[in-house]
Amino acid sequence: MTSRGQQRRKARETGGTDMKKFYWVFGAVAVIGVVAVGYSVGSSTLGTAVTEPVNVEGLDDLERLVSLAQGVTKGDPNAPITIAEFADYQCPGCGAFALSVKPQVELAYVQSGKAKFIFYDFPLRGHPHAFLAARAARCAGDQDRFWEYQDALFRNQPSWSARTEVVGDFIDYAEATGLERESFEACLKSDRHADVVTANLELGNQLGISATPTIMVSKGGGMARRLNYFDFQSVQQAVDALLESSGSTGN
Amino acid sequence: MVIAVLSLVGFFIAFYLLAHTLGWTGPLVCGVGECSTVQSSRYAWVGPVPVSGIGLVGYLVLLGLSVLGIQPAWRSSGGVGVLLLGASTVGLAYSAYLTYLEAAVIRAWCQWCVMSAILATLIFLASLPEVGRMRRRSP
Repeated sequence: MTSRGQQRRKARETGGTDMKKFYWVFGAVAVIGVVAVGYSVGSSTLGTAVTEPVNVEGLDDLERLVSLAQGVTKGDPNAPITIAEFADYQCPGCGAFALSVKPQVELAYVQSGKAKFIFYDFPLRGHPHAFLAARAARCAGDQDRFWEYQDALFRNQPSWSARTEVVGDFIDYAEATGLERESFEACLKSDRHADVVTANLELGNQLGISATPTIMVSKGGGMARRLNYFDFQSVQQAVDALLESSGSTGN
Repeated sequence: MVIAVLSLVGFFIAFYLLAHTLGWTGPLVCGVGECSTVQSSRYAWVGPVPVSGIGLVGYLVLLGLSVLGIQPAWRSSGGVGVLLLGASTVGLAYSAYLTYLEAAVIRAWCQWCVMSAILATLIFLASLPEVGRMRRRSP
């Protein structure tokens, strides 16, 4: 009997120690979890900003898709040649094209009225800030500063691209570009332009685009030629070939 | 006890994913894989209910049962153990289905979903001793 009683007492004591340990571990996990999730929710500056593609009805209908997708055009809308770019703001290749090749293209063809340049958003899935950046550029476009803001995004890409939170950076660039802060911030923290960016993304998907930047050159309503490379020489060769066929060259 | 701690970790993971789905957080912290691809896929929802919401409820049930099972009044009761084993089996099966979707259909991995699948497996393994207890209890 004594032996059994001792065993029971020992079991109770061991059980009590185990329960104490359990409550300590359980409490520690609970505190860490609450702090981590609370920090994640509390530190978000996004508010109700839409950061991912949205559901847009009718995108499976090609006619509706083409009417919903809208590129941003630079240059004479009636220029004979069209240079279209599908790009992602977080892709380093797109940054290189925007900062070193596009200025040459503008100088050689857009400013002289021989070609117009059209930019289409194509935020890639693996880039968490690309969709928000595309919306931010279009919010800047609401204040007629699309291209200036786009340059700022690409110029600062190495800085904001690696961050977890980018809203503050995007607002800073807006102010540096001369945008009115309050309306830009209101636009950024909403769903504005999410439908157009989503439609542009779907248009690119329908065209079979899988990498960025993708540059396409066309004349009039003719078939667009997709370039394999995105250096200035490739663009120059393609545009000059089309201009020669219509009787005027870029040089 | 182990199940209770694992369920609590799973609860926080599910809550974080749900908070993201509801727009309460910024982009998901995702060191490994493509969390945004998985979370924005149509498989992230079952009708109007986000999968993370289902996970949250699942982990809450497991948490509740496991905490109940270690209370002195319920420790000798077989009912809680049976329920726990059943719930962990359902959790494991659903996690296996979601892991299959990631691997074969979405073709992208989300580190939080993988962690949840690992937790579901561990919870199932931890609840297996219940089978032995059930056998001992049965005449």
